[in-house]
Formats: sequence, structure tokens, C-alpha cells
Amino acid sequence: MIPLEYYLLLSAILFSIGAYGVISKRNAIRMLMSIEIMLNSANINLVAFSSYNTPFSLTGQVFVTFTISVAAAEAAVGLAIFIGIYRAYKDIDLEKIATLKW
Amino acid sequence: MIDFRPFAYLIPILPILGFLLCLLFGKYSWRRGGMFANLTIFGSLIISLGILYNVYFQGMSFYEKSWNWFYPGIVFGIVVDPLSIVMVCMVSFVGLLIHIFAIGYMGEDPDKFLYFGETALFTGAMLGLVLSNNFIQLFLFWELVGLCSYLLIGFWWYKPEAAAAAKKAWMFCVVGDSLFLLGIVIVYNYMFSAPGITEPITFSQIFSSLETGVIPPPMLTLVSLLTLAGVCGKSAQFPLHGWIPDAMEGPTTVSALIHAATMVTAGIYLVARTFPIFMAAPNALWVVAIVGGFTALLTATMGLVVNDLKRVLAYSTISQLGYMLCMLGVGAAIGAYAVGYSIFHLISHAFFKALLFLGAGCILHGLWNIRSIKEMGGLRDKMRITSITMLIGALTLAGFPLTSGFYSKDKIIESAYEYGEIASKTGGLVHYLPWIFLIFGVFLTATYTFRMYFLAFTGKPKTYLAEHAHEPKPISSMIMPLIILAACSLIFGILTQTKFYDFLSTTFTTTTAYMSALNFEHLAKMGGNPYGLEHVETPLYIELLPTVFVFLGIGIAGYIYFNNRVDVGKYIKKGNPIYKIVWNKYHLDYVYRNLVAEKFIITLVILWDVFDLYVIDGVVNGISWLTVKSGTVIRRVQTGVVQNYATVILLGIVLLLTVIWYFGV
Repeated sequence: MIPLEYYLLLSAILFSIGAYGVISKRNAIRMLMSIEIMLNSANINLVAFSSYNTPFSLTGQVFVTFTISVAAAEAAVGLAIFIGIYRAYKDIDLEKIATLKW
Repeated sequence: MIDFRPFAYLIPILPILGFLLCLLFGKYSWRRGGMFANLTIFGSLIISLGILYNVYFQGMSFYEKSWNWFYPGIVFGIVVDPLSIVMVCMVSFVGLLIHIFAIGYMGEDPDKFLYFGETALFTGAMLGLVLSNNFIQLFLFWELVGLCSYLLIGFWWYKPEAAAAAKKAWMFCVVGDSLFLLGIVIVYNYMFSAPGITEPITFSQIFSSLETGVIPPPMLTLVSLLTLAGVCGKSAQFPLHGWIPDAMEGPTTVSALIHAATMVTAGIYLVARTFPIFMAAPNALWVVAIVGGFTALLTATMGLVVNDLKRVLAYSTISQLGYMLCMLGVGAAIGAYAVGYSIFHLISHAFFKALLFLGAGCILHGLWNIRSIKEMGGLRDKMRITSITMLIGALTLAGFPLTSGFYSKDKIIESAYEYGEIASKTGGLVHYLPWIFLIFGVFLTATYTFRMYFLAFTGKPKTYLAEHAHEPKPISSMIMPLIILAACSLIFGILTQTKFYDFLSTTFTTTTAYMSALNFEHLAKMGGNPYGLEHVETPLYIELLPTVFVFLGIGIAGYIYFNNRVDVGKYIKKGNPIYKIVWNKYHLDYVYRNLVAEKFIITLVILWDVFDLYVIDGVVNGISWLTVKSGTVIRRVQTGVVQNYATVILLGIVLLLTVIWYFGV
């Protein structure tokens, strides 16, 4: 059986990749994809802990199905926002959408 | 008879209510506001007389009631004892007569409703001051009285002199008031720090704590002198007497109100009310006696040279207030009776001074506001009733035998002599000074009073207006008060003398529900005052001396001024140095205005302005400059790029986790 640490390590690597993507990618779609990666790293954690700590109950797995569906909805909303932004700015380059600044 | 004492709080509230009514509805009511002011003050008078009847004839006990205010110990309260009863009766009675007079005198003045509102407030404030049972409330009403005097002196604000006079009165009073406030703060400071005092801090509390030494004697002296400073401002005693002559710019009824009932008597009342404190304070009463006596003499000399009818009366007021203050001062040797003697003179003074001022009001009314007695003359035939009542007033002021002024002033001079006899045995001949001041004051008072009277009423009319002067109709709101006041001036002394003293002296020496009787001999010992050491019989020639001086003064005035027999200008030229000094009011106005105000205060103000401009403003502007500058630099941090924020958040979380991991939770 694969030890728990391996799963956690995989999850940490995925999370870091995702975080790097969120910070560095200028394209909004890519940033959204990176966020999905971060989300899934958390899902791996949930499933791993669930099957190791309470092998006879499916709490973690059920939770993950919820997370996935919520993430799907979130992705849809995020894409809708990007479409809105694109209509306003004719661009989805995140560095150019900087109206929050002073 | 109903017990009126629980309604005592209505005495000040009614006229203040009248003030509001005058302001709101005065314009549209009968006589434009006069109705409200007169009715409310009449209400106060009824309650006051009712309480006097309760306490004096039915022997009901004194009464004190406090309502908590904002801090344990600081209260609103009223005190009903002989001192306050007598004062409220006088204030409401004389105030009412002056208000009745004003209905006619103010005639068709466009701001009549405002006038009556302000005078009602004035009277109400004075009544509240008298009934106060603690320093803080007294001070509030004290300031309210000052405010009303400011408003009323400057009632004809479009005259520049009136505006200036109002400002001057306010400034003089504020100098005294701020010192007085300092004294109050000291008293409260000691009372609060004393162990075991939980009750409301009232006058009776302070008096009871005197014997236990809650306030150390040197501090008592300081408090007394600071109080005296307040008194000097309000009662126009030397060196703060300068505002009174200028205050004559207001309507004459206001002058009558200020001088007889509501303002300047407040100072005397304050000293009488806090007399035990003065008694227990070393050397304080001595200063009081000297200030009072000196003022009495000094202003009497000024009264000799002034030609303004109202100003002569003004100086006589200051002088008579000096008598009252001096009486309280020589109370060092007399004890609680000093309050009785002093207040007796205050009451008789209120009657005859109101009478004289209202008479002057009649003259001014008939002469189109000409005030110089050099431009009058011969009014005796033109204004019969006024001249007779004014004669009664002048005789009373001079202290002519059998008038009330004779009894009240005689007692004061006798007491001053007694004080001199007793105190000089230990303190040297300097203690005769008050008596010397007062006895010469009597002579000068008689002289200047009758100089004024003879110049105005006898001889030939000196101007066209004086020739065609006329008096108001005999039965009118302007003549009736004169007659009532003249009657009071004549009979008050004969009827009430001893009973009055006995009644008033029980103020402090009666054990009541709220205060145990004060032992004045013990207090005098604390303050090193000679009361109770021995008794002195005044020799007959000393008792007769004032009367002789009165006749002498009237005689001299009559010899020179009756029908203008002697032309004074021939003997005393305008350039005469003594005449010049007195005419210029001993240059005190010059000192205050040109030296103190323009040199000293202005310099201070400029220095303060510089400090304010560069230091205070510098600090404030510096802080705002720093904020703006740092803001323009630091705001660059906000790039508006979401990813930068995300980075910072991430770094923050990493940092937080590191810290938690490193230091443990």
C-alpha cells in the first residue's frame, strides 16, 4: 500500500504548481486553470486522509464530489466574469486590468 | 396659611419662564411683553412673601433641598433661611416695581419684548443666585446675571458708547469671576479630598467642615480673597469699579435694576452667605473692610465732580456698596450680627436707589434723555411728584435722621468704630481706617447727593428742554412705583430695625435639619479675629458724628448750589490739579485701558498669536504634511494587479506558517 506521505507530497507539489501559475500567468484562463489544480490538490488530501484514517466510511470521498461540483460552478462563474472583462477591456491580460490601483 | 417653602424653587423659575414667554409671544401680547415679565415676577413676590410669613410669623424651620446633578456631591439645591428669604423678597419686590415703571418708560421701543425678556431673566437669575445652596449653582446664576447685565447695558446697541460700556462691564466682571471660579475649585478640591464627606457639598456642609479644619487656614484666606475678587467685579468695588459709570448708557430702568435689585447686590450677598468662611480665614475680613471702606470714600469723591445725573447715582451706589462690604469686614469684631447690619443697609439702599434711579428715569423721560445736571435746573416746579420723591430718596441716601438710610448707615459706622476700638488694641491704630473712611464718606455722600439735587431741581432752568419739562400723569405706571418706594425708604428703618437684625442673625446661629449652629467665637479664634473678646460702648459724640456730618454736607451743598448761589467755576478752575485727577477718575481708566489692556494684554496676545501661528499650527500642519507626503510615496505599493496581491497574501501565509512552526503555537 502506498504510504500517506506520498499522497501528501503529490498534493503539495500540485498545490505549489497551481500557486506558481496563479501568481505568474498573465492570461486569465491560465490562472483559472492553475486555481483548478490547487483545488484538486486539496481534493487529493481529502481522499487520502479519508481512506487512511477512516477506511470504512466515505466521508472524504463524498466531500470531494461536492467540492468538484462547486469548483465546476465556480469555474463557470469565473469564465463568465472573464467574458465580461473581455467585453469591457477587449483583453484578458491580467496586468492590464489594473483599475484597482491608486 | 399654606406652607410655601416647598415651592421656593418656583421663585427663580417663574421669571425665567417669563423670559421664554416674552421671547416667543411678547411681540403680540398686551404692552408687548410687559405683561409676562410683570406677572411672573409678581408670582415670585407672592411666594417670597409667603415664605417670609411662614418663617418669620409662623416660626417654621429653615429649609434646604438638593437634587443630584452630575457627580456625587455636586447638586442643584435651594436654601431657605432668613438671609435668602429677605433677599428674594427685596429682589422680587423692587424688581416688580421697576418692571412696572418700565412699562411706561420703555414706551414704544421697538425691542420692548426683548427688553422685558432680558430683565425677567435678569431677575430670575438673581433670585436663583440668592436661593442657591452651593457654590457651583451660585456661580452659574452669577454668570447668568453678568450675561444679562451685558445684554441690558448694551440694549441700545446701536449707540457706540452703549456697546463699549457693555463690553467693559463684561470684561471687568470676567476678571473677578475667573478668580472667583478658581476659589470655588480650591474649595471643592478640599471638600472632595476630605475623608467621610459623601453628602452633597453645600454651603452648610462647607461651614460645618470649617471647624474640623478640612480646609487649612491659609487656603481659607486664599479662597476668601479670590471670592472677594469676584465680589469686586460684580459689586464694582475698587479696583474693579470702573464699569459702573459707563454702564449708565443702558436704559435707566436697567440701571435701577442693576443698582438696586439684581446685580451689584449679588456680591454683598455672596460675602454675607459665605461669611463663616471669611470669619475663619485669617486676615480676610480685614482686607474686606479696607476694600469696602476705601471704595466708599474714593467713589464718593468722584461723585462730587461728575455732572451726569445717572453717574452721580452710579458713584453713590459703589460708595454705598462699599459701606455694606466694609460692614461685613468689620464683622470680625461683631460676629453674625454683621450680616444683619449689612443686609439691612442693602435693603434700604435697594429702596432708595431704585427710587432715585426711577426718579432720574422720569427726568430723562421728560427731558428727552438729557443727562447733564448742568443743563437741568428748576425742575422742582415742573415735576412736582418726582422732585418730592427724589428729595426723599436723596435724604435717605445721605442718611438724614429718621429715614431708613440713617438707621442702616449709622449702625455700620458705629460697628466700624467698635471694630477700630477692639482691633486696634492688638493690631495697632490702622484698624481705625475703615471708620475714618466711612465717616468722611458720610460727609461727601450728603454733599454730592444734594449738589445733584439742588442743581437739578432748584434755580432757573438752564436749557430750553428743562424749561418745558413735564411729568408723566400722576396715576400712571411711572409715578406709582416712585410713591411706593418713597414710602418704603421713609418707614422701613423705623418699623423693622431690631427685629430685622435678630431675624437675620439667626441664619447661621440656628441648628436646623441640615446644619448645626455655627460657633462664631470658635471660628473667629481660628481666623484670629477679635470677635467675642470684649464689648465696647460707643461714646455719644461718636454716635452723633455721622448726623453732624450729614447736616454739614447738606448745608455746604445747599450754601453753594441752592438756586445756584455760588458759581463754583470761579473758585475751582478746570486746570486745578486735584479737580483734574478726580475728574479723570484717578486715571484708573487710563491705567486699565492704555497700560494694562493696550500695552500688557496686547503684547501677551501678540506673543500668544505668534506661538499659536508657528508652534501650535506648525505641529498641526506638520502632521498633515507628513501624512500626505508618506501617502504619495507608499501608495505606489498598490499596483492594482490582482496577482501582486495574491503574491503578497501567499508570502504572508508562508511567513505566518513559518512563524507558527518555528515558535510553536
